[in-house]
Amino acid sequence: MHFTKDLCRQLSDLEIIRKSLEEVDFFSCLYERYEASLLRYVKRLGVTEEEAQDVLQEAFINIWKNLHAFDQSLKLSSWLYRIVHNQAISCLRRKKSFGKDQRAAFDEGLLVHISDSDQDEDSPEALEEKDQHARELLDQLPLPYKEVMVLKFLEEMSYEEISDVLKIPEGTVAARINRAKKALRKLSPRPNF
Amino acid sequence: MKPSDKLIQTIREQQIQPVPRWRFTLRNLLLWSAFAAAALLGALAFSVVLFAIQQTDFQVISHLSHSRLELFLGLLPFFWIILLIVFLIIAIYSIQYAPKGYKLTLARLVGYSAALSILLGALFFIGGGAQRLEQAFAVNVGLYESIQEKKVKLWSMPEQGYLSGQIEQTSAGAFQLKDFEGKEWTVGHEGAFIPPVVLLERGEKVKLIGKMDGPGRFTAAEVRPWGGMERNGRRGRGE
Repeated sequence: MHFTKDLCRQLSDLEIIRKSLEEVDFFSCLYERYEASLLRYVKRLGVTEEEAQDVLQEAFINIWKNLHAFDQSLKLSSWLYRIVHNQAISCLRRKKSFGKDQRAAFDEGLLVHISDSDQDEDSPEALEEKDQHARELLDQLPLPYKEVMVLKFLEEMSYEEISDVLKIPEGTVAARINRAKKALRKLSPRPNF
Repeated sequence: MKPSDKLIQTIREQQIQPVPRWRFTLRNLLLWSAFAAAALLGALAFSVVLFAIQQTDFQVISHLSHSRLELFLGLLPFFWIILLIVFLIIAIYSIQYAPKGYKLTLARLVGYSAALSILLGALFFIGGGAQRLEQAFAVNVGLYESIQEKKVKLWSMPEQGYLSGQIEQTSAGAFQLKDFEGKEWTVGHEGAFIPPVVLLERGEKVKLIGKMDGPGRFTAAEVRPWGGMERNGRRGRGE
């Protein structure tokens, strides 16, 4: 069965889930709806371009298997991010070099969110340099700090959503973000970061 | 082929089915049941800890001139404290993996689980259940040394000034006492501190602080009620 984008667009997330359980082809609507953002997230965590699509495929197989476990009091996106996150972390852990030379494939310009607000005064070259610097700094953070920073400042999630994705209390999310910021300040010789 | 089509193809080819809802429901039910059971068993353990504290003679420890720490540690109901900790950990673990359990910080998880066990345990203790539970353990578990046995040991050190037993006969300024080992003692109590609750009657169980004067002779400085023993009962000595 082939689904047009228009048909998928008409359905809410919950309707897609309900219809998927009746007809598996509807599940592709869910994949297509979240593919771009989840792929971007997986890459931001440090999964390579080549592996990202595989991670997403495996994650969606898990999502399919656990479709009945979805708690409707959660945002579907949080639940999807959680499963994809776990799959990405498993992938990263399988790699021997994880934690040493991993470099997240961050999109250009996104890390300005965690820089100071005086970026407008910088030239494009300076901004680019600052982003590069920020990426290198984030990669030096331990995974628990890195993941909250990515979710908060790159995925622009609320504390509650991050809590649902990582399955940790909101207070822990806040504490990790604070510690990550402090760690970044220590790592950065620049006074404005 | 589009990734979404590839996904559907994989699902079809491998005939992957969603896990039935009942399995998730059952898992959640088991987690909540484990939490409830662990909290309840923790409560029982806590109630016996309370009972042990109630039965512990802290005054004696303050009278001892040496090995107070050793005696204090010997009196602590480690068995029940360990059980309490184990059940608390199970309760915390269960609730942590229950739906939305991750929303609670470790401090709250510990706090809620401990509060539930303490509340239920206190109620169980007040209702007299702790004594019966401890007694059942003493009777049925061979290696288990009951709180009462520990208490008898503590109050069976006449050389160190601690003696206990049942009054057999009374006379002016003295009484005959049979200790929990069955040995007869003549106890002088002139000038001793005797609280009103102690009647110095035949058959009354008492504990004494004083001095051993010689074989079978003891001078009491304090005569206290044995306390709890009659209600609690126990195996062997002290009944």
